[in-house]
Amino acid sequence: MINVLGRLGRWALRQVAVALQVSVLMVDTIVWLVIAPLKGKGLRWRSAVEHMVEFGVRSLPIVGMICFLIGVIMALQASYTLDQFGANRYIADLVAVSALRELAPLMTAILIAGRCGSAITAEIGTMKVNEELDALQVMGVNPVKYLVAPKFLAMVIAVPAVTAIAMFIMIAGGWTSAVFVVGVEPVVYVSQTVGAIVEKDLVTGMIKSVFFGVAICWVGVYRGFQVEGGAEGVGKKTTASVVTSIFLIIIVDLVFTVLFYYL
Amino acid sequence: MSTPEPVIVVEDLEVAYGDKVVLQGINFEVRAGEVFVILGGSGSGKTTLLRNLVGLMRPKSGRILIKGRDFTAMSPDERVEMRRKMGMCFQGSALLGSLSVADNVALPLREHTKLEESTIDIMTRIKLELVGLGGVEDYLPSELSGGMKKRAGVARAMAMDPEIIFYDEPSAGLDPIVAAGLDQLIRTMQSTFNLTSIVVTHEMESVKIIADTVCVLHKGKVVGIGTLDDLERSEHPYVRQFFARLPDDVSDADPAYARSLTGID
Repeated sequence: MINVLGRLGRWALRQVAVALQVSVLMVDTIVWLVIAPLKGKGLRWRSAVEHMVEFGVRSLPIVGMICFLIGVIMALQASYTLDQFGANRYIADLVAVSALRELAPLMTAILIAGRCGSAITAEIGTMKVNEELDALQVMGVNPVKYLVAPKFLAMVIAVPAVTAIAMFIMIAGGWTSAVFVVGVEPVVYVSQTVGAIVEKDLVTGMIKSVFFGVAICWVGVYRGFQVEGGAEGVGKKTTASVVTSIFLIIIVDLVFTVLFYYL
Repeated sequence: MSTPEPVIVVEDLEVAYGDKVVLQGINFEVRAGEVFVILGGSGSGKTTLLRNLVGLMRPKSGRILIKGRDFTAMSPDERVEMRRKMGMCFQGSALLGSLSVADNVALPLREHTKLEESTIDIMTRIKLELVGLGGVEDYLPSELSGGMKKRAGVARAMAMDPEIIFYDEPSAGLDPIVAAGLDQLIRTMQSTFNLTSIVVTHEMESVKIIADTVCVLHKGKVVGIGTLDDLERSEHPYVRQFFARLPDDVSDADPAYARSLTGID
């Protein structure tokens, strides 16, 4: 019993230590992103833009394809039930609302976590193994400023931006299967969609996706800084990075969904 | 060089990883413009000492004075300011893999100065020429050989015209000719710029060429300090052993025992 309690205590202490490290990282990032540029210490804009292209533009093909297919699938699955009531036109409502509130932000975040969160961890981890992080520090260049701040900025802009496009594509996917397979009138589908969406759906989806971006970036960076001991360490933490960020994305999703449910 | 001032003074330095003390009672002075070699075997704590000197680690107790100011007790901003006067060459060169050689050398200039891009370009070229790497500006670090990487590392360390330069195992992993070239480079840099150089190494051959003062570390303590001649006359058993390149007295190194293990006899 005491053994179990002891283990629990040590586990809790470790979690506290992790939480502490993560908060230090968060504060550092915010300082280098918001306060330091105001004090004239600069932000690496070019690097931020390059990362936006990497996280955003280069993610579009895969995110677009997956979201289109999910739209197609959702419409067909919806028709399975709605057809019994002769309510196929409501496929449009269902697809539009779930795409905006839930599925487009979630799918985008998970795909970007797999594609870019892992890349962030691998990059920073490799730099740590090669003493490049030490080299930056000795040169008087803060690694958070140099590496983390541009990635963070890029992530919180790229994820919502891709999400917005993903929402549109997912609805387009729903339209495609509803019109060509189920046989809903194209115009009816569009007017139903327009009627179903309210501003709040869009806003909640976008707010979520901003925080998904935050989660992906911080997990990626934190896992990268955690890397110890060569190439094997990089591999382990890269895997851990994807698992943790997907887990966190779901948790963030849950928190915001509950929050918006009551708002 | 008339009675040069100490640039670095280390007083009673003690460093520990958790409870494990790795450096204890370290005291020495480095005078301006000399090549100060920290010599020691594997696990002697020489790299740890270097990491403390450049501020990558904090000591448990003791002081490190750099140009008369306590480096261990500085605010982060002062530390950054101080680091502009220091350059460091890492064992594995630690060039940023995503940047070209020229961008690596230009990095400190871009981060710390507001110079025009054309000026930075010229300065970068000069530094690379200085270490004998003219013409490789646009290569990525992965496209360079080990010796060239180390030279590029020296160029980057020299980018801000430092007063103190640190070398971590400059000749590790290089063939004798390239290693000799690096020894020569360390000497050239020192004599050209009157650069205070601290070199961590275990290579006796390069110590003989570059060292003004040698500090021998063993098991976290300084066991000998002085010029090469002083140390060659040292009575300390470890210093004698190191200089004579003798193995430790390990009983199971008995060849007959080793043969019995492999079953040859």
